Amino acid sequence: MTSVPLNAYLMLALILFCIGLFGALTKRNTVIVLISIELMLNAVNINLVAFSKLGMHPSITGQVFTLFTITVAAAEAAVALAILMALFRNRSTVQIDEMDGMKH
Amino acid sequence: MNGEVLVFLILASLAVIGGLLMLNLKKVVHMLLSLVLTFLSIAGLFIMLSAEFVAVVQVLIYSGAVTIMMIFGIMLTRHQDEQRVQKNRVRTWVVLIGILVFFYTMYEAITRFVSVEQASELHIENTKQIGMALYAKYVIPFELTSVLLLVALIGAIVLAKREEEEEVKQE
Amino acid sequence: MCDKLLPYAWLIPVFPFVSFIMLLAFRHRLQAYSSYIGSALTGLSLVAAIVVWVTGWSVQSVQHTGVWLAFESVELQMGTWITPLNLVMLNIVAFISVCVHIYSHTYMKDERRRSTYFAWLGLFTAAMLGLCLSPNLLQFYMCWELVGLGSFLLIGFHFEEDKAKAAAKKAFIMTRIGDIGLLAGLILLYWQTGSLQFTDIYTVISSGELEAFHVTLISLLIFAGAVGKSGQLPLHTWLPDAMEGPTPVSALIHAATMVAAGVYLVAVLHPLFMASDTALTVVAVTGGVTATVAAVIAIAQTDIKRILAYSTISQLGYMMLALGSAALAAGVFHLMTHAFFKALLFLTAGVVIHHFKTRNIHQMGHAFSELRFTGMTFLIGTLAISGFPLFSGFFSKEAVLSAVWHDERYLLFSLALLTTFLTAFYMFRLFFIVFMGQGKPTSGPKKALSMALRLPIAALSVPAIGAGFLYTPWFSAFGNWITQWQTAQIDPGHEVPWWMMPSAIMCSLAGIMLAWVMYQKLRVPLRELPYLHAFTLRGFYMDELYHYTIKQPLQFMSTTTVYIEKFVVETVMESSSSFVKWVGKYGARLQSGQVQTYGAVGFVGLSILVFILFWTGGYF
Repeated sequence: MTSVPLNAYLMLALILFCIGLFGALTKRNTVIVLISIELMLNAVNINLVAFSKLGMHPSITGQVFTLFTITVAAAEAAVALAILMALFRNRSTVQIDEMDGMKH
Repeated sequence: MNGEVLVFLILASLAVIGGLLMLNLKKVVHMLLSLVLTFLSIAGLFIMLSAEFVAVVQVLIYSGAVTIMMIFGIMLTRHQDEQRVQKNRVRTWVVLIGILVFFYTMYEAITRFVSVEQASELHIENTKQIGMALYAKYVIPFELTSVLLLVALIGAIVLAKREEEEEVKQE
Repeated sequence: MCDKLLPYAWLIPVFPFVSFIMLLAFRHRLQAYSSYIGSALTGLSLVAAIVVWVTGWSVQSVQHTGVWLAFESVELQMGTWITPLNLVMLNIVAFISVCVHIYSHTYMKDERRRSTYFAWLGLFTAAMLGLCLSPNLLQFYMCWELVGLGSFLLIGFHFEEDKAKAAAKKAFIMTRIGDIGLLAGLILLYWQTGSLQFTDIYTVISSGELEAFHVTLISLLIFAGAVGKSGQLPLHTWLPDAMEGPTPVSALIHAATMVAAGVYLVAVLHPLFMASDTALTVVAVTGGVTATVAAVIAIAQTDIKRILAYSTISQLGYMMLALGSAALAAGVFHLMTHAFFKALLFLTAGVVIHHFKTRNIHQMGHAFSELRFTGMTFLIGTLAISGFPLFSGFFSKEAVLSAVWHDERYLLFSLALLTTFLTAFYMFRLFFIVFMGQGKPTSGPKKALSMALRLPIAALSVPAIGAGFLYTPWFSAFGNWITQWQTAQIDPGHEVPWWMMPSAIMCSLAGIMLAWVMYQKLRVPLRELPYLHAFTLRGFYMDELYHYTIKQPLQFMSTTTVYIEKFVVETVMESSSSFVKWVGKYGARLQSGQVQTYGAVGFVGLSILVFILFWTGGYF
């Protein structure tokens, strides 16, 4: 019915995942790092939804799983931001390379 | 090339452009807004994949809630608006090479992956189907998710709240 | 009576050992009394030795042993062994040691570490007495090493002086060279005879079961130990250097303890040597050559103690010559007389050195007028060592000469005769220069010699004069007594050709005359012959010879290895350690605390793994 092959969706998801990954590993602003992680999660969501439609055993489960992922991602974003606020209050910076507390 | 492929190409290129803009823009808020573009394109892709409900959730949560929350995070923290020039060039290159290797590997894997089946009934009463699956089959994960959300809520409040001594000092 | 007392002979070495332990343990508290304690305990030991001697007079060979170590079928014994030879040695050692102890009371009066000094003396004496009492070679060897240790400690007593330190080390190392031979011989002997007991060894040897080759090999190896200990050529160089020790110690080392041990070793194993003509020849030739060479060297020395040291080497050569000529009695007899007159000479030399505050004889002179008692006793010692008629050395030397004559080694005989002449010459040279020479009289008040100095010197001069009459051509009881128990033969006595005694007398008188002419009448300095003089003064350049043949190559080897160590081993060590440091330094930089870096590293690793997995065809 749909004429777009599964591989196209997977490629798109891969590209977005790589972009998110690159951002997460190189950007210095913590907020951007967090949102890059959201992008990676989203890329995974594309995969899940695509498989639910065009996978080996298509079913609704992929969509349900996507909902769970979105929920967890939202919760993660909230907690991450809260940690960021607390950290900012202590160190008054959001630059990720200035947060080296794990060294000690 | 029918219309569906065209729509897919437009949405996909919008998503990629949004991501690339995020990487290349200078201002933090602009980065976030470019990502909103990506998220919205992805919602469109979800509709193409007969997942209307997920698409709506995507718009609500990602484009709406998460992005707004991030903007609040930016507002609440005194950030340097412009990203400083990357200092750690070595790491950037190493990460880039690692990502390229990863990309190539995955690309090879994806091109070899063939699936011929297709679901035909996902778009019929999609929301109802999801509701059925969620409350019948996945009720325990669903409840656990609510607990997780509660924990995240409380945790976020506790973390973000100023410590009492500080409050006293401020007053 | 003898049954009751002889088992307690082990007490003899225990007394000085107790003194050693006490003085070492309480050396600060007993500082003031150390000489009394040392002298008293050594005196007790002398009394015990005399008692054992008197009671064990008629004894041939009595052992009292207990098991020391037992493993499987081997039992190692420890205990005492009384034979006439032992009795002689015990009494000499104890007597000389007592003399030295008493003498040291005054001589070491101002020494800060006197109790240590007396402790070492006690150890030294105890070791030597234990050595003389040993019934087997193992105990013997143990005491032998202890004697070496004692001499090391005493020679290096003034260890703050570099020379003393070097001399102590030299004595220890040179004797150690010989000890290797002794140990090897001992092991070989055990392998061949199955026992280390002296009596068992005698039985095996007399049964003639041993192969001639083994007998020769063992006796030569054992003789190597004696060469080292008794300062025979070529291992004699430590003895003159040992003069860095305090003078009483020199007396003890040279008269009774250290150097006598080697002679005693050959004497006690004499049946073994007798079984091999080769070994006897080696012993005799070594002894003869040593006697002559050392006497020649002694002529040119200017240090009073070094002259005496070389004379000791020379006299030890005599003893070895006698033993090598199959004359046990003559060798032991010379050992005994030599012990008396050499101790006497050293003790009086100590007084002289103290008087002149120098050891160079050319800075002395006129001592006879100032030190009459010392001069007289020194003269007695000199006459005795020169073989002046009716003094002890005369008879013992004469016994040695006749033994060599009987053994038909005429070349060695002429060497021995020559040595008699040389000995008389250099000893009287010493005497004339020191006591009759025209040095300037020392200023300062004349002090009468204290009793503690006079007593031992007087006590020693008596046997130095009279001990010779124990064994004369017309009275050979001593010879019988000392020989019979070992070989079950009666000493043949020494039937001497009629010209033997006159020629010996002539030789020594000629030496005395020549010395008188050269140093008293004409005062001809020996330096007229520069090369020969230097050659003899430096002791035939023996030290230099060792320096260039052994020390230099060894030093070269050690320097090479040092450089290898420095540049090869060190480099390896250094580079490995700096590698670890480098890894640590850069590893620490990895530990930057930056989550992004960690994530990057983790991700790159993951991507590489995934790539490898893909490349090798897993999963995909």
